Amino acid sequence: MITDQLLAKNFAEAEVAGRSLWMDARLRFMRNKAALFFLVVLVLIVLFTLLGPLIAVTDHETIDFSMIGQAEEKGQPSIANGHYFGYDDQGRDLYSRVIQGTWISILVGVIGATVAVVIGTLYGAIAGYFGGRVDSIMMRLVDILMAIPFMFVLILLLVAFERSITMLFVGIGMLSWLGMARIVRGQTISIKNKEFIEAAAASGVGSFTIIIRHIVPNLLGVVTVYATLLVPEMILTESFISFVGLGVQAPDTSLGQLINVGAGTLQYGTKWQLLFPLGFFVVLIFSLFFVGDGLRDALDPKDR
Amino acid sequence: MIMFIIRRLAVAIPTLLVLSVVTFFLMHAAPGGPFNSERPLPASVMANINAKYGLDQPLYHQLYTYLVGVVTEFDFGPSYKFKDRSVNDIIAQGFPVTLTYGFWSFIVATVVGGSLGVIAALKHNTFIDYFAVGISIGGQVLPNFVMAPLLVWLFTLTLHWLPGGGWNGGKIEYLIMPIIALSTSYMASISRLMRSSMLEVLNSNFIRTARAKGLPSHKIIFSHALKPALLPVVSYLGPAFVGMITGSVVIDTFFSTGGIGQAFVNSAFSRDYSVMMGITILVGTLTITFNMVVDILYAWIDPKVRL
Amino acid sequence: MTLQFKSLTAMLAATTMLAGPVLAAGTHPETGEALSDNQTFTYRILDEHSSVDPGVAEDVSGAEVIRDLFEGLMNQDENGNLVPGVATGFTTNDEKNVYTFTLRPEAMWSNGTPVTAGDFVYAWRRAASPELASPYSWYLELMSIENAAAVIAGEMPTDALGVTAIDDHTLEVRLSASLPYFPLMTTHTTTFPVPQAVVEEFGAEWTRPDNIVSNGAYVLTEHVPQERSVRERNSMYWNNDATIIEKVVTLVINDDDTALTRWKAGELDRTEIPTGQYPSLSQEYSGEALSFPRLCNYYYTFNLSESGPEAFKDVRVRQALSYAVDRSIITEQVLQGGQIDAFTFTPGATANFTVPEVAFGVMSQDERNAAAVALLAEAGYGEGLEHGPLTFELVFNTSEAHAQIATVVAQMWKQTLGIDVVQANMEWQIFLEERGNQNFEMARGAWCGDYNEASTFLDLLNSASGYNDGQYNNPEVDALLAEAKTMADPSANYTRIEEILADEMPVIPVYHYAGNMMLNAGIQNWPINNVEQNWYSRNLYRVDN
Repeated sequence: MITDQLLAKNFAEAEVAGRSLWMDARLRFMRNKAALFFLVVLVLIVLFTLLGPLIAVTDHETIDFSMIGQAEEKGQPSIANGHYFGYDDQGRDLYSRVIQGTWISILVGVIGATVAVVIGTLYGAIAGYFGGRVDSIMMRLVDILMAIPFMFVLILLLVAFERSITMLFVGIGMLSWLGMARIVRGQTISIKNKEFIEAAAASGVGSFTIIIRHIVPNLLGVVTVYATLLVPEMILTESFISFVGLGVQAPDTSLGQLINVGAGTLQYGTKWQLLFPLGFFVVLIFSLFFVGDGLRDALDPKDR
Repeated sequence: MIMFIIRRLAVAIPTLLVLSVVTFFLMHAAPGGPFNSERPLPASVMANINAKYGLDQPLYHQLYTYLVGVVTEFDFGPSYKFKDRSVNDIIAQGFPVTLTYGFWSFIVATVVGGSLGVIAALKHNTFIDYFAVGISIGGQVLPNFVMAPLLVWLFTLTLHWLPGGGWNGGKIEYLIMPIIALSTSYMASISRLMRSSMLEVLNSNFIRTARAKGLPSHKIIFSHALKPALLPVVSYLGPAFVGMITGSVVIDTFFSTGGIGQAFVNSAFSRDYSVMMGITILVGTLTITFNMVVDILYAWIDPKVRL
Repeated sequence: MTLQFKSLTAMLAATTMLAGPVLAAGTHPETGEALSDNQTFTYRILDEHSSVDPGVAEDVSGAEVIRDLFEGLMNQDENGNLVPGVATGFTTNDEKNVYTFTLRPEAMWSNGTPVTAGDFVYAWRRAASPELASPYSWYLELMSIENAAAVIAGEMPTDALGVTAIDDHTLEVRLSASLPYFPLMTTHTTTFPVPQAVVEEFGAEWTRPDNIVSNGAYVLTEHVPQERSVRERNSMYWNNDATIIEKVVTLVINDDDTALTRWKAGELDRTEIPTGQYPSLSQEYSGEALSFPRLCNYYYTFNLSESGPEAFKDVRVRQALSYAVDRSIITEQVLQGGQIDAFTFTPGATANFTVPEVAFGVMSQDERNAAAVALLAEAGYGEGLEHGPLTFELVFNTSEAHAQIATVVAQMWKQTLGIDVVQANMEWQIFLEERGNQNFEMARGAWCGDYNEASTFLDLLNSASGYNDGQYNNPEVDALLAEAKTMADPSANYTRIEEILADEMPVIPVYHYAGNMMLNAGIQNWPINNVEQNWYSRNLYRVDN
């Protein structure tokens, strides 16, 4: 008897440490080899931007005057002279510039995606769930914001706040949440009619709780995928913002600007000026894709 | 549904009005003007120009005159930069161009991207999955301002198959490269959204039931799974469309097609107020219409959705 | 290409033939070269032109089209010298403030009506009128035409303008001041005639291909905005027999590199050379990459007004900054297009101007760098010195070329003088506003001459000039400029002004422009010696290559 009771007590204790849905998701993610691999790649890229400067031979703005305009003849990438990625047309070390550019672009992508996920999801879910006039007003506001010429907003930011990196993120943030809001609203409209939402509402759960606890988790698949799609878009939008004078200013650079400049020099024989920044961009996108899909698969409660 | 459309149209008017007013004041708040140049004009010349275009009136008066002109006569005013053309001319010439290659790019992106997404979802986590998505991602990986000059270099300079640019009334050989450059930007997003959405749908109970009942695969996909899976893709079409108008700037720049995207961006840089306003209103109208169509599509996809 | 010289008599016969059949394919009347069957010239422009109405046009690409469609009193030849246009010649009085032009009776509009002095009177009055509100109306004031300022301001009616048609073929112009170089200014498009009847009938749409009537060598046959425009031979043109090119096509291509690709593919005959590509292109396509001096400069201006930084008020700081710029790196390595190092504000290519040897221009770069370091230390700027390290902001409008030069110059200042320069690129309109309101510390500037004389540049530094964004104020310079207006040979004054500028350094001259373009070897007779690049399609011709 005593052993039975002891056994029962042990079982009870063992049962209390249960598994939450989030832990389930984490375990599923860990099992996805591709996702894990590319997560590691992403971490490596970040580490590269942080530690890369240690083996750089010059910083990203120092010009070697004898190399200006000589990139095609003498500026090739070489391990020997320490310019691993070669020179750019201004006689600067491309390796350091790619590091500096990747860092800014990762920041831009992360912040843009975060703003989109947080603000866009909440906005879209609220609009979609409440429907009616609330939805109408909120969505018409999104329509207006989408149609307004973005450049003037940027110019006014520049005039009001002077150029700064912070303003760049404000600009990116303002743009990124609009598309997400629309997509989330669409999904919400469909989800809110499902039986389990009806059940929750019928048992008296408050609207906001329903949104946060029931609707949003079911959106996470689409949100994750769209967020990973946004990152490259934001990286490229940044080069447009810098054109206006608001974002990253010379001699600093970003991945978007490096690709822009590199693309222009493609027919002049300096292919590495495009290939290296584009290469990083490609790896970033692929990594985000696999990680994003891994997250989606992990968070989808129905996926086996 | 008629009531829905009427209600939406009724809301569209105040929406466009708010858009016009906000854009108008934003434009005038930005420093610079349509007649600034490297050599500042003497005061008397500026006075003449301002009088001619009504720029010496107080702002709210200008706005009022402008809106009256738009609503009563559909006259969007003269262009400040292009002296022999009106905004109506510019839009009438540029919009069909952008619409043509934009429409076809859309079709290509949706059909190809959608198919790739469905295939990838069906063969989830196999080599075919990665390959299909790899193709569409390949399109996104090359931004269109990298792809456009590459296409010109390949098809015009190296192969001599296609002319390097121009529009010439939209003959097919002038359409091909713009469509390739523009559709690949959207293909990736559409295929990924399609794939992820399809995966969710394929794992749902009603599909499991259909499989259990022994329905053949193609019937499951096309009759049962495809429609609900379209939902996020359809939602994406709205922002994709607006992106297409602004993304078409790159197409116009590299392929000299003379579309409205380029007119939009140029008018912002040269502060051509009337062109800017005209195109903004046009884009706003299209956005509203498009989103209305999208909402109607939601109802078609999901019968529980009330319009 | 080979030149075949025919006998002298044959050449004389060819050039004295008055009304003979035009040889489309055949041989060139003067050089005897075999002409190609294809006499179409296709060239690229960066941006759509704003208008082809002579009274209103304000950009270079518009002016190029207008010079083909219309013709003014005088033209320029391949070397930039004045040659007759609609006018066969002119006379002037001793004070050089009344000019009388004689028009040729055979000048025709493309609809068959003759060109009269009345057409010029109408055009000039129209260009000055407040109703047209032409952004180039100030040019008539610059020409010193009597009452021009009052007419533009609306204080006097347009017929008060100092231009009269004595009869159908005699035009009299009265100036408010003596201007020896007035005839040079009649090559400018604002002074070209317009057909009154057509303008009054069609209003703003008179320049549409369906409506337009012009008096030049070509008529406008097609115009698709943002894409292309086409002009074809005007058989009513008085000198039509000498025109060889049948058709001129303008393509709008916004991207320099794409334009070059299409040039290589043979779709165009002329395009600009992207920055830095001249050496490799001139090797790969020898003879087709051209470089020639242009009438433009490029400089950085200090803000010398009240709102400018204290440091810039010290002439030693300004000199130091100017000395430390290694211009040869910019011209030979960054631009690589045959540009010329600038130590003076006025380009050497300007007519009747010899570049004075200013002191810092003859030093070697090492000497200049050493002098710069010394000057800056003497002024008290640097680590541990009286005013501390110097730092300032350089603004320029967003463009890859400007950014490249700014980056290189900033690095030069950093490496030689230890100065930190913040590079601030801005969108064009904002840049103009900020610079025009003296809301900057150092700004990039460039100027192209309105006419081929040094005053078009040096007037910028006149304290009363509306273009003097740095607000440089030197009464001696002002006096010298005023005096130069009426001198028969003002070069002594101009030299003196440049010497003052080199001493006081209100601006840092960087380089003087060179025109760079890729031109298909088949196109002949491009006026590379015309520094204003006033080219006329009717002077070009094509041979097979």
